[in-house]
Amino acid sequence: MSKVFYIDLQKCTGCRNCQIACKDEFCGNSWLPYAAEQPEIGQFWMELTEKERGAGSHVRVSYVPVIGAQTQAIAAYAPEVLMEREDGLIVIEPDKAKGRRDIAEKFAGVFWNEELGIPQGCCGCAHLVDDEESPIRTPRCVDNCPVEAILFGDESEFDLAGAERLDPQSSVYYKELPQTFIAATVFDPDAMEIVEGAVVTAKGASGTFTATTDRWGDFWLKEIPADDYAVTIEKDGKKKTVQVSTKDEDQGLPDIALV
Amino acid sequence: MSELKTTVQSIACGGTGGDLTYVDSKDGKIVRIRPVHYTDVYTEAELEPSLWTIKVGDKEFRPGLKSQPNCFALAYKNRIYSKNRVAYPLKRVDWEPGGDPEKINAANRGKSKFKRISWDEALDIMESEIRRVIESYGPYSVLTIGEDGHRESKNLHAGGGMHSTLMSKLGGYTREVRTPDSVEGWYWGAKHFWGSGCNKGLGMPAPPQTGYNPWHVLRDISEHSEMIAFAAGDWELTQNYASQMWSRLIKFWEECGKEFVIIDPFCNYTAVCHDTMKWIPILPNTDAALDFAVMYVWITEGLYDKEYVETHSIGFEKVRAYVLGEDEEGVPKTPAWAAERTGIPEYTIKAYARNRANLTTASVHFSSGAIKGPYSFEPGRTHAYLLGMQGLGKPGVQQAYMNASLIGKETIARSTSAPFSMANQCRMFYPSEQKIPRTMIAEALLKGHAEWYGSPAIVYVETSEQFQKNTYPTTAESYATALGTASPEMARAQGKSVEELQAAIDYKLEHMPKFSKVHMLWSEKPCNMNCWDGGFRFQDAIRTNEVEFFVTNHQWLENDSLFADLILPVTTCVEDDDMMGGSMVVSLRSSAITPPGCDKVGESKSDFEIACAIGERFGVRDQIDMGMSYEEWRQFEFDNSRLGEEITWEQLNENGFYFPKQDPDQDALPAGMYGFYSDPEANPLDTPSGKLEFWSEALAANFPDDIERKPMAMWTVGGPESEGWSHDETLWGERCKDYPLLMVANPGRWRVHVQGDDIKWFREFETMKVEGPDGYKYEPIWINPVDAGKRGIKAGDIVKLYNDRGTLLLGARLSERVIPGAVVVNKGSRVDPIAPHIDRGGAANLISPENQVSKNCRGFAVSGYLVEAAKMEQAEMDQLKKDYPEAFERDYDPATGVNYKSWVVD
Repeated sequence: MSKVFYIDLQKCTGCRNCQIACKDEFCGNSWLPYAAEQPEIGQFWMELTEKERGAGSHVRVSYVPVIGAQTQAIAAYAPEVLMEREDGLIVIEPDKAKGRRDIAEKFAGVFWNEELGIPQGCCGCAHLVDDEESPIRTPRCVDNCPVEAILFGDESEFDLAGAERLDPQSSVYYKELPQTFIAATVFDPDAMEIVEGAVVTAKGASGTFTATTDRWGDFWLKEIPADDYAVTIEKDGKKKTVQVSTKDEDQGLPDIALV
Repeated sequence: MSELKTTVQSIACGGTGGDLTYVDSKDGKIVRIRPVHYTDVYTEAELEPSLWTIKVGDKEFRPGLKSQPNCFALAYKNRIYSKNRVAYPLKRVDWEPGGDPEKINAANRGKSKFKRISWDEALDIMESEIRRVIESYGPYSVLTIGEDGHRESKNLHAGGGMHSTLMSKLGGYTREVRTPDSVEGWYWGAKHFWGSGCNKGLGMPAPPQTGYNPWHVLRDISEHSEMIAFAAGDWELTQNYASQMWSRLIKFWEECGKEFVIIDPFCNYTAVCHDTMKWIPILPNTDAALDFAVMYVWITEGLYDKEYVETHSIGFEKVRAYVLGEDEEGVPKTPAWAAERTGIPEYTIKAYARNRANLTTASVHFSSGAIKGPYSFEPGRTHAYLLGMQGLGKPGVQQAYMNASLIGKETIARSTSAPFSMANQCRMFYPSEQKIPRTMIAEALLKGHAEWYGSPAIVYVETSEQFQKNTYPTTAESYATALGTASPEMARAQGKSVEELQAAIDYKLEHMPKFSKVHMLWSEKPCNMNCWDGGFRFQDAIRTNEVEFFVTNHQWLENDSLFADLILPVTTCVEDDDMMGGSMVVSLRSSAITPPGCDKVGESKSDFEIACAIGERFGVRDQIDMGMSYEEWRQFEFDNSRLGEEITWEQLNENGFYFPKQDPDQDALPAGMYGFYSDPEANPLDTPSGKLEFWSEALAANFPDDIERKPMAMWTVGGPESEGWSHDETLWGERCKDYPLLMVANPGRWRVHVQGDDIKWFREFETMKVEGPDGYKYEPIWINPVDAGKRGIKAGDIVKLYNDRGTLLLGARLSERVIPGAVVVNKGSRVDPIAPHIDRGGAANLISPENQVSKNCRGFAVSGYLVEAAKMEQAEMDQLKKDYPEAFERDYDPATGVNYKSWVVD
């Protein structure tokens, strides 16, 4: 049975309780042989990454909790430093990994502890998972999450078809990783009214995507692949086309006058 | 694992507790802080009667079986063991007791450092100084600061007001009155529209018939509202007062298909993380203009509830005339008119107006934005007018706010916010014969006197109190006014006859205490310069010889404490032996036994223990602790509550926590303002007419010459002081020529007001601090790339933000999340004084206005004011370092920021 993390980004609100949980569990606490103390700052075994997207009145922030060390790539690269386990959790044993700076250099989510001379990263809170007397039996980031965005369990408990990963050998699955968006407000400059119900079509090499403007005159082409698009806005015979690229960044466009 | 000791704690940065946590400790030191799984103690069947339910169609929302603590509680280990903790009593190195101007070195406050002293010496100083000032000036020369306001959640051990309790045993004290922060606009404006409101004075709507409690508001919104309009506040941020349950509620509302709109200069933390939010960027403090344009659309298109307005309100015709331009001014408040002022396109304003009218809309308000700006009574009233025009109290047409956030109702509940039990001995909300509003301390100290209208305490004050004039120091005349004349109501309330009451008043008048100016400041919440308004001026005031002695009780070495003469170390709530549940903004309200979760840090004592220790010197200790042990106090608290109706004392101790049962008859309580909506005659408001008053005759009669707050809301921009205005803080006056940016200084996402700025694990978040090229972690200034570009400011630059009140150093964070024309600096970053009126810590309120809301409304104005930003060039920084070397030589640790070592000499 392999343990996995399953993260639903639609539920995540960016509260960072997961990141705090990890600090709380490992800073100032040593859980040998599973993990030595994490330095008070600078290491992020669980890191909530955030990215500001869009512009104008169409702005969002995407939050992605990242657990870099839970990847079988480490097992392939340096099996000798790992705790022998049947549940697939990656536990870099401090005693076995002394001096292995190379592991910290090679894997995001594994950090070099200069003082102790060891590489450190997420151990899946295996010390809790293994301890039958522990009051909590899941990783702390899972327990701390107030919105149940981060789940943990055996692979078989989750529907992983279509789930995405940041690296192909990772045990951390995401329900949906962010892609890109195009959004704008459409208005009628003569009447100075928003335009509701305009059909918006974005055509690019990755496909054609459509949306309709809502009661704010807004359209959101959400979670479309990064690409160059010809975006056409149409209503009542009025039509406007703009060229937009989401290859570098999401597009919160200036308000569009439909004439 | 078996070696771990586990205690229940209620950790939160407000006075009413939070979602519960378990604190695991080993050998007296905290190992971890985690959510509580209720089923560890109770079975689901046992819990069931205590769990509320919201049902919408076939969807259900419930509290869950695990607590959802706020992020601060979960990081509190970092706070308890902060490098910034005050572990021992500290005395400023160049201050000596005795009040001698030569020896107090008042001007060095905020400059000279501290040294550790013993508790004996600290208590000697407290005793001798209190005796000295009482003998020299009388007890009213002691100003007790911080009876109320945000602080740790404690009960017996208190978080403010124990100094007042002690001083009340020693003859009296001058009370520092917490002004209505967070609700200014409602308090000074909307109270005249819909009455005194929640807690009989907060200014947010609540029916008098339920003891001013707004029950079932979130349930009503869940069941009936189609759109939820957020303004003046950030839901995701504000919930951290106590819990993180509201994030789940928004997701539930999304599942129910509700729509959302957020009006804010900043694409706030609620707007960015929920996909369904419509954000409308608005220039700061122009909300009233938007609201008037909405009214214009509604009136001209017939989109408001005319019948309701007819039957439930008075004075609407005056507002109607103003909006349509059919009054003396003759300016129609059209969407185009509002677009020029708000920065919102005309078409979006029209869409907002129609969407609010066509969808049943609830309004959500928290403690931010325009409601805390200059002339905040205008947006406070216009926001309220919008609800009034859509039938306030109609199912789905409610206002949600912190005290209206309770879901369900327990059988033994006393209100929507009060705890189930209390042992608190601190004097909070007690009147004193001499008082100073928190906003006016600087003026009172600098000028020696002050005058104002209203108490103006945040709660338990009726609207009419705003018409009473007060003075400091108390005079024979103001003393008589405060005592009043005996009325049958007052006599009945005190269990006396009218004659007896009058005799008691006469006796007091004949034996008027000796009132005097204050000369000793004692703060149990030392953050006035950072939480309140005009912070630099407050610093000036406490640097004068008028203040002979300034003592603070506090856990952390920060803010006002840096300007103190003596600092008494205080325990955190986790260290105290207490009994503290959670009663506001929590997912499930609780009562809990909260014994010490760890050893005390250093020699710290709770405020209660400090009052007892000083009380002992004066022979009054037994009047404070009543000779009882903590165990006896807890049982006394339990015995005086209604908890015993549902659980035994023994069982509560065994279980550690308890959730009182839901009241099976709770549906009989009207949701929010429904009673008034359904029958305004039977359920009147406590306004003079009993109805909504678009035009307040009471304001007209009491303040006929007030050019700032008129009897109804207006678009008020202010003007020069010479013409009688308190403010010129908009883009339509003179000062904007020098200071063209509008400052937004809302509370921060990673602090609760000033609390939490030292949390190392938070300071690593990219939205918490900006590391400057000099390695200092500056408070971020969020600035739109357009405004930054005009000023040559790049991400990560050190920025000076200034106006005629002073300068802050900040770190540039370029962001599309802030509307061009505005900058965001969250209030509450700890002060780090370089020199008078120059601060490196970036504490926003230092440069906020000094003139309060308006002349007759002495609440604070701390957001929506004018500033200018510029890149801090290296040469200028070098010059500062040359001019003020000692400020730059203090120890600094980027992980914690300013800390104990920065200010304490070995």
